Amino acid sequence: MPLKWVFNWQPNAGSTVNSQILNEVSQCVESMNGVKEGRWKATLTFYKPMLRDQALAAEFPREFIGISLPEQPNKYYFILRGNKIVLEADSSIQLIMEKLQSYKSRVALNFEGFQYQLGDFQLRVGKVVPTHSENLRGIVMEVEYLPISSLEKSKQIMDEFVEIWQEAVSKRSLPGHFMHIEPNFSEYGLADHYTSQHTAVQYAHVMGHLIATVQAVQAGRN
Amino acid sequence: MLQQQQHQHHLQSAVAAAPLPSSSSTTTTPPSSIAGEAPPKQVAQAMDRLGQAARLIANIRLGADRLLEALFVAAQPHQSSKPLHLFRQEDESMRQHLQDLRTVGKQLEESGVLNESLRSRSNSWGLHMPLVCPDGAVVAYAWKRQLAGQAGASAVDRTRLALKAFTDQKRRFFPHLNDEEDGESTDNVSKKHRNLPAQAEDNQDILSDRKTLSDLLTNMEKDVPNLKVLTYERLDWLKRASSLPDSANDNIMEALKHNFHSSRILRSAPQNVVSMDKIAVIELFFPSVFRAVVSLHPAGSTDPDSVAFFSPDEGGSYMHSRGSSVYHVFRQITEHATVALQYFLGIRSKTALHYLLHWICSYQTLFTKVCNKCGRLLAMDRQSALILPPVHRPYQTFSASKVLSSQDQSSNAPVAYHIGCFSDDA
Repeated sequence: MPLKWVFNWQPNAGSTVNSQILNEVSQCVESMNGVKEGRWKATLTFYKPMLRDQALAAEFPREFIGISLPEQPNKYYFILRGNKIVLEADSSIQLIMEKLQSYKSRVALNFEGFQYQLGDFQLRVGKVVPTHSENLRGIVMEVEYLPISSLEKSKQIMDEFVEIWQEAVSKRSLPGHFMHIEPNFSEYGLADHYTSQHTAVQYAHVMGHLIATVQAVQAGRN
Repeated sequence: MLQQQQHQHHLQSAVAAAPLPSSSSTTTTPPSSIAGEAPPKQVAQAMDRLGQAARLIANIRLGADRLLEALFVAAQPHQSSKPLHLFRQEDESMRQHLQDLRTVGKQLEESGVLNESLRSRSNSWGLHMPLVCPDGAVVAYAWKRQLAGQAGASAVDRTRLALKAFTDQKRRFFPHLNDEEDGESTDNVSKKHRNLPAQAEDNQDILSDRKTLSDLLTNMEKDVPNLKVLTYERLDWLKRASSLPDSANDNIMEALKHNFHSSRILRSAPQNVVSMDKIAVIELFFPSVFRAVVSLHPAGSTDPDSVAFFSPDEGGSYMHSRGSSVYHVFRQITEHATVALQYFLGIRSKTALHYLLHWICSYQTLFTKVCNKCGRLLAMDRQSALILPPVHRPYQTFSASKVLSSQDQSSNAPVAYHIGCFSDDA
């Protein structure tokens, strides 16, 4: 399937995300001849084990993440970042987990926004909000290059697209920038040919950065 | 001289004013009073008129041929007024044919053959008016679904024949033209004649040992690493295309593909042999970069007649040498490749396939080679408002030996341009 880079909004030191930034970014995409196509939504859930004996909690991985992606409505993805494990399961696994009462959702986040078509590129810009609130926690962007699926072959293309993008965005003097750090896919057992599992891993890493950013802001405040 | 120009003008306007009946029915005229006639007679009349139309179209095609021939003869030195006479004759008969065609077309429109206005309220006899498919195939009894399938298959054949006819005409009367329809510039023609002998020697030296299709393809595989060359009979290609992308369909692929090496090795086992004279489709596959489809006509020859580029992950029955990729980048390359093919056929017709295949291989750097003019990989193409890599690789100065000798990034590497960057230069 076509390859994709997921970007995380990194606010400048001392500033936070707000919806104005999201609007500006969307306008920027449209100024590059992007055609708005529709909405998209992904969800990410942190699970914690339901244990009778809380002392056993230390034996379980600290971060157990479940992700649903719009392009795979019948699948659900699990990631253990510490153990570098990614798993693709049927979407009914959520029901099973609920019935078994094995894991419970600790925090759930939605990534949602609009999707744009720029020729052979597809862009998604989205806000990060907890499921039952409108509190904006972050902004993510997906850039997908549709014609090919090889991460290696597309690296130059994507780098140059990012340059073009940064040029377009810098004119708006926004307090921050989009950041992409490619996870080490081979550690997760993933190959050069792109799949939705790659996307799930990228989102898990984006969450890591988001949390780190929020914690840094909080530490700065205290 | 003046009269020649006048006749040229007439020719142009005659050709320009020749709509085929199937494309002229944009307005739906309410059917006039044909209700008085019994349905079988309506159908019979419609079939009759369709036959007339087909004959008129054939006459028009012949007339166009004759006009072009007269033009050609007129271009030769020391001619009498014979070509002018031919012109006038053909001009008159063409106009008459076109007029007759318009009349028949109107009649057909009125009787509801070219649009579907009558089909829904078709008469109680259970008869439907014949349906003319956009490609010109006539389905007499629309309720027979298999005929609709035949119409679809015939569309491919008809298009191929039409394209061959045009290509032959162009090759015969305008052998040295690329995009500019420069009929009267004899200077250009003589200049290119002078270049040809040098190129012919060039060809013979390098290519004297690559005459047959079999040799050509074997050498391709040897010379270009990363390339997979596969060959097919025409119908087999259709099956293969529908089974792509082949991550889930390896079994079908194994049964159908005639991988070039294996077909030579298995020559002794008769049931697996693909005879060279049936090969009609060549697939050039650079994994993760692109897949190119080249069609040969006639099968088994070294005469390419069309080429198209696709994504390595694309699949479907629309993937053939006259098809179009769903991705912009590959659509642009296909357009460019079609022009390059015409160039190779015109200038180096004996070795066109060799040049075409090697030129196609120069696209293996599609996603890595920056544009020679602006130094970037991606650029926003102003005309189409799309961000594209350099899809233009020059073919006029293309030399097959360059591809063979260089794997490095030296100045011998093939050049590439963005669409906008190239046209600025030229």
